[in-house]
Amino acid sequence: MSRVSFLLGETGLTIRQSGWISVVAILLTALSFTTVGLFLWLARMLGSAEAHWRGEMRIVAYLNDEANAESLLQTVRGWPEVREARLVTKAEALERLRGYLADRRELLGSLPSNPLPASLELGLAADAVTPEETQALAGRVGRLRGVDEVQYTAEWVERLDRWRRVLSAVGLGVGGFLALAAVLTVTTSATLATHARRREMEVMRLVGSGEGLIRGPFLLQGMIQGIVGALVALGCLVVAEIVLAPRLAPLLALTLGLEPVTFLSPRDGAVLLAGGAVLGGLGSLLAVGRGMRP
Amino acid sequence: MIEFEHVSKVYESKGSAEGVRALDDVTFVIQKGEFVCFVGPSGAGKSTLLHLLVREELPTEGQIRVGGKNLLRLRRRSIPRLRRLIGVIFQDGRLLPDRTVFHNVALALRVHGAARADVRWRTQHALRAVGLVPKEGAYPWALSGGERQRVAIARALVREPVLLLADEPTGDLDDDSAGEIMELFKVVNTRGTTVVVATHEQGLAARMRQRTIQLMAGRVVKDSGGPV
Repeated sequence: MSRVSFLLGETGLTIRQSGWISVVAILLTALSFTTVGLFLWLARMLGSAEAHWRGEMRIVAYLNDEANAESLLQTVRGWPEVREARLVTKAEALERLRGYLADRRELLGSLPSNPLPASLELGLAADAVTPEETQALAGRVGRLRGVDEVQYTAEWVERLDRWRRVLSAVGLGVGGFLALAAVLTVTTSATLATHARRREMEVMRLVGSGEGLIRGPFLLQGMIQGIVGALVALGCLVVAEIVLAPRLAPLLALTLGLEPVTFLSPRDGAVLLAGGAVLGGLGSLLAVGRGMRP
Repeated sequence: MIEFEHVSKVYESKGSAEGVRALDDVTFVIQKGEFVCFVGPSGAGKSTLLHLLVREELPTEGQIRVGGKNLLRLRRRSIPRLRRLIGVIFQDGRLLPDRTVFHNVALALRVHGAARADVRWRTQHALRAVGLVPKEGAYPWALSGGERQRVAIARALVREPVLLLADEPTGDLDDDSAGEIMELFKVVNTRGTTVVVATHEQGLAARMRQRTIQLMAGRVVKDSGGPV
């Protein structure tokens, strides 16, 4: 216990002696983690939208007037890639249009007959939602006798997926670069601290102190800097969530049909703090491993 | 307690292919409880000898045993255990300027995980032995040279080592202070601690009337063999 309190006391002294360089290391760690956190949040939101729309994905086959709709319905229901299939009759299509037009229904009154085609709406099985599978299935549907036109929505969902990947990569790239800068700053901070406390380390060695106790404060210093940096980042992300989430909610609902995604779960917070400790510890390890031979 | 067997130490030097020979075929034995002064001018090899004893360096040739341990076979992780047996004092005291007298002395106990009450009791005991209890709250820069050296002695003695090594402990002191420090070493020695002092002051060593080993250019040129 006494040795632990000694270690903690020496760590506090090391941090105080490091001064501004400690603050810079903490800020760089915070900047790095905030950047990664924001990009991952955006990526997660796009991922969530993508998953949502993949679940909603449909192939719509418009039928001509000669088509045997019931027979076609039975045919597509027999295909394994089709999770569900539904026939929308000409009358139902017109009714839907009336619903969309709401207070301008009088426009439809002037039509001599119902111009809308009947259609088949196909919901896809989970393993058929890749662009290739969807395209192949749409091709098969299009070749059925009585089908005039086929529409499907896979392309822009894939575009969402590409954006999600790009954002993740950019976030990790920029965050990684900043994390490297943070590690090097922690290394510099620990190196300066080892120089400032050279005499003390020399005395400690002479009185028979183990290397763990001599190097320990520098390692702890780095880990504490990393954890504090991660805590600052966590605070920034929480503030960003409080400020941004209410403003983004209507936009997300309108464009992506989504509720805003939570920035950080408790697990994310724990990972962030552990990441800070590892990053700071690594920075210190580079310093004490390099410049502190007994 | 200490055995040097044909020990040589050569430092690499840019100007010389053979290097600088700090110690040359040095052989001696110091028994437990002895008081020995190594005397010689600067460059005679006194400090090198002490650095070898605390395993800060290894000899180029020969064998060294301290307390029965062969220092050449000592693993790196066992070095702290060796140093716990030894108290070391340097000419400049090597005190930490940002810590009080009390904390400078207590450091030697705290790094070994001594309990708080134990640290307080033993530190005060060591300070009492060197007559510095009233100055326990002072910082090193507020002390005289003799007082600083006494703090260093208290730090070396606080763990009750079996061997006390002092490298030019009176180098910066006036005659009176130097005499006091040497008397302090005598008291420590009478309690059973082996004391080894390296000094360039031949007169001071002579006044101690203890065994004296004279070094010159890295070689032992005279060993009184016992108290004189």
